Amino acid sequence: MAGVGGQGNLVCGRVLAEAAIQQGLRPVVGDTFGASRRGGSVLTHLRIGTRDWAPLIPQGEVDILLGLEPMEALRAAVEYAGKRTIALVSLTEVPTANVNSGERVYPPLTKVSASLAEHCKQVYMLDAESALLRAGSPRALNSFLLGSLSALTENPLSQDLIRKALYTTLGRDTINVTAFEEGVAALHQ
Amino acid sequence: MNDSERKTMMSGNEAIAQGALESGIGFCASYPGTPSTEITASLFKFTEKYDIYVEWSTNEKVALEAATGASWAGIPALCPMKSLGLNVASDFLLNMNLSGSGKGGLVIVVCDDPRGHSSSNEQDSRFYAKAAQIPLLEPSTYQDAKDATKYAFKISQQFEVPVMVRSTTRLSHSRGLVETGKISKRKKRAGALPQRLYNVPTPHLRHRDLLVKMERIREEFETVDLNINSNPKHTDLLVISSGVSSLYVQDALQFLNSMNVGLLNLVTTYPLPKKSVSGLLEKTNDVLFVEEIDPFLEDEVRMLSGDLKKSPRFHGKRTGLIPSFGEMNTDIVRKALSQLNGTKAELPTPTPSMGRELLVKRPLTFCAGCTHRNFYWAIRKVKKRLNEKLVVAGDIGCYSLGVFYDEAMNTMQAMGSGIGVASGLGQLERFGFDSKVVSVAGDSTFFHACLPGLINARHKNANLTFIVLDNATTAMTGFQTHPGSRYQEQALRRVRIEDLVKAVQPDFYATADANDTKGLIELLHSTIIKDGLKVLLLDSICRLDEDQRDSTLTDVHFKIDADLCRGEKCRICFADFGCPAINWSSTSNQAIIMDAICVGCGACVDVCPHDAIKEERLS
Repeated sequence: MAGVGGQGNLVCGRVLAEAAIQQGLRPVVGDTFGASRRGGSVLTHLRIGTRDWAPLIPQGEVDILLGLEPMEALRAAVEYAGKRTIALVSLTEVPTANVNSGERVYPPLTKVSASLAEHCKQVYMLDAESALLRAGSPRALNSFLLGSLSALTENPLSQDLIRKALYTTLGRDTINVTAFEEGVAALHQ
Repeated sequence: MNDSERKTMMSGNEAIAQGALESGIGFCASYPGTPSTEITASLFKFTEKYDIYVEWSTNEKVALEAATGASWAGIPALCPMKSLGLNVASDFLLNMNLSGSGKGGLVIVVCDDPRGHSSSNEQDSRFYAKAAQIPLLEPSTYQDAKDATKYAFKISQQFEVPVMVRSTTRLSHSRGLVETGKISKRKKRAGALPQRLYNVPTPHLRHRDLLVKMERIREEFETVDLNINSNPKHTDLLVISSGVSSLYVQDALQFLNSMNVGLLNLVTTYPLPKKSVSGLLEKTNDVLFVEEIDPFLEDEVRMLSGDLKKSPRFHGKRTGLIPSFGEMNTDIVRKALSQLNGTKAELPTPTPSMGRELLVKRPLTFCAGCTHRNFYWAIRKVKKRLNEKLVVAGDIGCYSLGVFYDEAMNTMQAMGSGIGVASGLGQLERFGFDSKVVSVAGDSTFFHACLPGLINARHKNANLTFIVLDNATTAMTGFQTHPGSRYQEQALRRVRIEDLVKAVQPDFYATADANDTKGLIELLHSTIIKDGLKVLLLDSICRLDEDQRDSTLTDVHFKIDADLCRGEKCRICFADFGCPAINWSSTSNQAIIMDAICVGCGACVDVCPHDAIKEERLS
């Protein structure tokens, strides 16, 4: 799970870990902490198995990449994606401070998604923004992406358990429920 | 219900706290520091439920002294800290180790930060265990973190020595399943202190006695089931690992075709269980060491080889096969295995480099409205006025980011070292040193380690300006209370920085509002050019802390007047001042203020030389 501080990486990790436990598996969640949290890049490594895996994924061994932000998805893909990687990426950009100040230019989305495609087996670029508008809050991006992930056939966790884990973690309010189902639908559009 | 449902997800730090609770601790003293903070923070939640005393001490040395006092009186005590904290506490540690920790039980947890994600250095603190001759445990998993902490208390109580548990960032800050046990609610009672809690007149005999204890602990370590040893009958290669590195080793072995690899995952790394390790060394041809950060375990094992009937070939940091710096990961272990004879490790898939050129970094910066930015902005202006003849000796905290803010801070070493360095620089005029000297520290750092430096500067008449950026909280690590905090919990009494500074009697003292950028420039300039010891206390604000306690600025808005803004020709507000709430709009060719990010502090108003930033009050 790749995103920017405050986007909800930690929640995504918590929900999927809970779903994995309910499925009788052992999750390990590695988060980026400390100074890097404040508006910086945040990367969460989630590993699921029958024993504790190491908290960092080896190069090329990512199965699913959840991109909460396009450039952060690419940053993670360049380091960790490989032959098996399926990327689910929100199209909505979060500009960096030096992009905002005009010193740097945010890379064109077409280039970002082309580069992601070179690193991964398959890439889904998802229009989360309009879906979240329908759901009623831009803050439900994590629920939306978890929905998309749950609809992916390659995902090892049951859709029902992910949905339940989301409700236990974030509560069963209309926004999260709608965002999740929008995410499910978005994958197959 | 399946097995894993009886277990709880815990970070390594939370598991350490759980282990301490299950061991029946009554006392925890600590100073916050990443990646160790959550251990103590977790225990704060249970003070009433389990009748424990928990405090954020002024520094790690005081914390260790306080925790030791508790252990001496028979109360089991925990003292968590980050790597650099142990440097501060080490003076006491290297005395108390000889006197013993009493019957209560004393466990020191030190969390090292390989790669220095949130630290000013990269340091392997395990050498302190060897220097102090105390037992060292290095848990690998979340379950281990809990179990090793419990075992540490058992050893400490049995032998009356402090025991060190060492974690590293990835174990402390990642989460996995932990089976929790019962927490005893029985009352703890303090008793009389042991006799002779000093080492004089025969410290050497105390040292001798400690060495005897350590040999008995070594015997205990030979059979403890925390150490995992999985060896096929014919081992070509033995991999010896400790801490979270053991998980990377297990991952890397998944990629191996050859199965004749033995594993020794040691949790009890000092004193080394010599017999069991030697036994394994004699059965293998090659040994690979995997650990974070220095070759500590590697050197301990290498020292055994002289006594072996047949010594294997050793590989690790000492042979350059594994880097002697930075974090460990599975890929480093895979690469090392692939380079050793006899194994057929599949090399990591080389990732194509394309796309890297597209990435824009997200550099660390002061938050929107952070008054530290105003201070450094003012310092930069004063530096220009003084023709760059100004040195800023800095300290540790959020304001350390000053080193990235046009290098407005020149030195940044250890807690409290800004004022210490400045007190030396402030004596150098006699040798022709012609820069004005400024030292900067935060409020929590002031209490932690600045007082001796400040008193030294007063006593020796050092020529310097000491500036305390007082936002009244320990902001960097998550707003822990310190003696000067604005908000104090019940039963804690506030100690004011101002009172302490005045007692030292500087030649000049003033306070000022760190939100007033214009006023700051003038005050800093006039103060810095004065001779003598000058102290400024700047009333600062942490916007994140304020956020937690509700902001009162919401009715104030700031706008940029399009007619007055010089746009691209100027760039001062969005590029030089660099507040994240001021953006550059390439469509309108002007600076714009982002209402969603702006906290309404108005510090930028005086930054604009064209008076283009205007306040709008919403009624």
